[in-house]
Amino acid sequence: MKKLAMKSGIMVVVLAVSLFLVGGVVSYGQETETITFTVRTRAKPPMENWRGDNFLLAAEELNADLKTAGDPRRVEIELIQDNMDWGPYVSEFVLGYGAGEAPDIWLTGHEHIGAQAEAGRIIVLDEMLKEFPIFNLIIDGLWDSTTYKGKVWGIPQDAEARPLYFNKALLKKLGWSNTEIAVLPGKIEKGEFTLYDMLKTAKEAVDRGIVEPGNGFWTRPKNGPDFTAFYYAFGGETIDPATGKLVFDTAAGLRYYKFFYDAVQTYGSMGCLGLDWSGAWHPGVSGSKVLFWIGGTWQWAEWAEKFLKNLGGEAYMWKNFGFGLIPAAEKGGKPNSLTHPLAYLISSQSKYPDLALALVAKVSNYGPNTRHAIASTHLGILKGQTEYKFYKVSRLLSEALYMLDYTTFLPNNPYWGPYSTITYEALAAAVAGDFTPEEAVDFVVDGLQRELGDKVIIR
Amino acid sequence: MKRKGEIGERGLPSLPISLKAKNWVFSRLEGRLAPYAFLTPALIVITLFFFIPLVMVFVLSFTKLDMTNFGILEWWRPANWSLDNYVKIFTNRFFPKILANTLIYVALTLAFFNVGMALVIALITTHINRRAGFAFRALWLLPRITPVVVYIMMWKALSGPAPMGIINKYLLGPLGIGRGEYLLNTHPWVFVILVNGFIGASFGMILFSSAIEAIPKDYTTASKVDGATTLQTIRYVVLPMIKWPLLFVTTYQTLSLLTSFEQIMLLTDGGPGLYQTEVWALTAYHRALTSYFGNTQWGYGSAWAVALVVIGVIMAIVYLRVFKFGELVQEPKIDRL
Repeated sequence: MKKLAMKSGIMVVVLAVSLFLVGGVVSYGQETETITFTVRTRAKPPMENWRGDNFLLAAEELNADLKTAGDPRRVEIELIQDNMDWGPYVSEFVLGYGAGEAPDIWLTGHEHIGAQAEAGRIIVLDEMLKEFPIFNLIIDGLWDSTTYKGKVWGIPQDAEARPLYFNKALLKKLGWSNTEIAVLPGKIEKGEFTLYDMLKTAKEAVDRGIVEPGNGFWTRPKNGPDFTAFYYAFGGETIDPATGKLVFDTAAGLRYYKFFYDAVQTYGSMGCLGLDWSGAWHPGVSGSKVLFWIGGTWQWAEWAEKFLKNLGGEAYMWKNFGFGLIPAAEKGGKPNSLTHPLAYLISSQSKYPDLALALVAKVSNYGPNTRHAIASTHLGILKGQTEYKFYKVSRLLSEALYMLDYTTFLPNNPYWGPYSTITYEALAAAVAGDFTPEEAVDFVVDGLQRELGDKVIIR
Repeated sequence: MKRKGEIGERGLPSLPISLKAKNWVFSRLEGRLAPYAFLTPALIVITLFFFIPLVMVFVLSFTKLDMTNFGILEWWRPANWSLDNYVKIFTNRFFPKILANTLIYVALTLAFFNVGMALVIALITTHINRRAGFAFRALWLLPRITPVVVYIMMWKALSGPAPMGIINKYLLGPLGIGRGEYLLNTHPWVFVILVNGFIGASFGMILFSSAIEAIPKDYTTASKVDGATTLQTIRYVVLPMIKWPLLFVTTYQTLSLLTSFEQIMLLTDGGPGLYQTEVWALTAYHRALTSYFGNTQWGYGSAWAVALVVIGVIMAIVYLRVFKFGELVQEPKIDRL
């Protein structure tokens, strides 16, 4: 009897312990909820990988914050990161949204905000931003790039300058002294060295056989933001502040197309359109075959890492390459540059936009943003970032920073895509000699009116 | 093959009349349905992956569906259909250039490689040692069985600027030709045609070789006995006897080249200049599926694709009529006697 009582007692204790344990596990399971956030980023590996990789670290930090705050939610990251072209990248988001599978956080060029906001695929962030003071540290001007119709739709991720690079060794072959080369960026900044001065120097290099015909001056080989900076240099405008509509200025357009037409026909330049990026363009500019070229600060890291590592990487580049702003069109005019900030957008299909924004807040801090800036030679986005200890180690970022004072943006308009395609086609035709500058302008006016109707203002 | 209905008629235990009638009906029904049952899997695949997309592309070609209005425009409603895309194609400033590029690409690739080179290889390899001919033909199949991206990367390496480009370094350089330029930039059409032709020639080569080998030896022996030269034998004996495969390859490869663009896309992407090597099918792809800033125009791109299908169908009908395919595929009259 005693034995039975003892056995019963043990059973009761075992049952009680079991129930406690099971209950504990169940209650823990009920209390915490793991939410998977899909983060979609575009990055050139390995230089730009921090665009997405920062989220993996941010998730750990956020989970710690949530635990401390007694919030039962936990986050985990599903990161999709590759170097897809922009066109298919945007298509993927739009079609993914159509299938109900849009990523929670989508990193893209700020100029896509207009189209996605109009279609309701991304959410307005103004009110939510107030809960994260870190966003107050982002440079004020960059918010303009993510504002559409008076509301903020994205968080700037990085910025850059698009300088005019020049090859010092080739300038020396032309007879330039070290001093003349050293003061060139300053002369550009003061408007003393214009776009046509550059073409004349390029022609001299071609005439003297220092570079091949066509290699005096290069732009990027395909359509992209850089060309808009030249249109701005000739006085062009892309957006009407009063109506928010796109604008094409025919007088500025004529000067813009004439410049590129002249560059080929008279000055032996622009043998670059249609070139394969990695097969010909990068080897051309980094291989000292081109005198002047327009590139981005992020390409500095690319050349050092992928094309010139064997020659000494950055050290070789500092010796042989220089850079300045995109020169003014006329003497005394204002030079410029163009920044094309990428921005984190939050999909309207995200079930927990507050947590998505909390993750973006984590990666927008000095540490994570500087990691990306240094590795990819993009400019920082935060106030006072130049004083941040780890940011200061990059000579390029420090020396290129002044260009932000001269920077311009692409417009945030849903119809920027067709506008850009038409204006670029005309430019490519002028470069190919198929169009005169006048024909190029006529083509643009006709194309824009036909494609966009009253959504564009022709001046 | 025995049928159920026949079993009873051959002396096995006979069935009641009503059952016999039922069996008869069943077997008739089975006989009629069986072919459809065999066709069903193919029909499902064709409907899902060919017919429905074709109808969708056709409908899309009348709409302005693009990246900016996806999810907003009700493209399936006839009220949103118009012929604007087709008007845009034919009034496009670059339309003549793209059309001319397409014609040049199809005609030159067809003439020099897909038919011309294929015939030459077939004739040579069937007139030399059989094993050597087989080995030579096997070599010509390599471009076709190499993954297209790898194949194009090899051509890019071949055509690269000096000192990396193989053609520049080992061929043009020693001969003192050119200045080591990027050959894809200076002679894009040569490479577009070579790249496509090296793949395309193998198709005709196989068909022509087998057709030539199927010609009874008596004919060629007789022509030799009559004193014909090799060229005369080819002209008056071989070519007339491979007329059918010749016309088939010409037709098939014309249509195939009209719609092919993947090699050009990977090689030059229509460049290097504006639309310099852009062919019709590539334009359809570019308009519908690519754009730097993401403004892909699905409706407009579909219109380019539909117009190409119409051109292809018209050309097929013309070929069938002009070359009298009906007569060529008839049974030989001698077999009927």
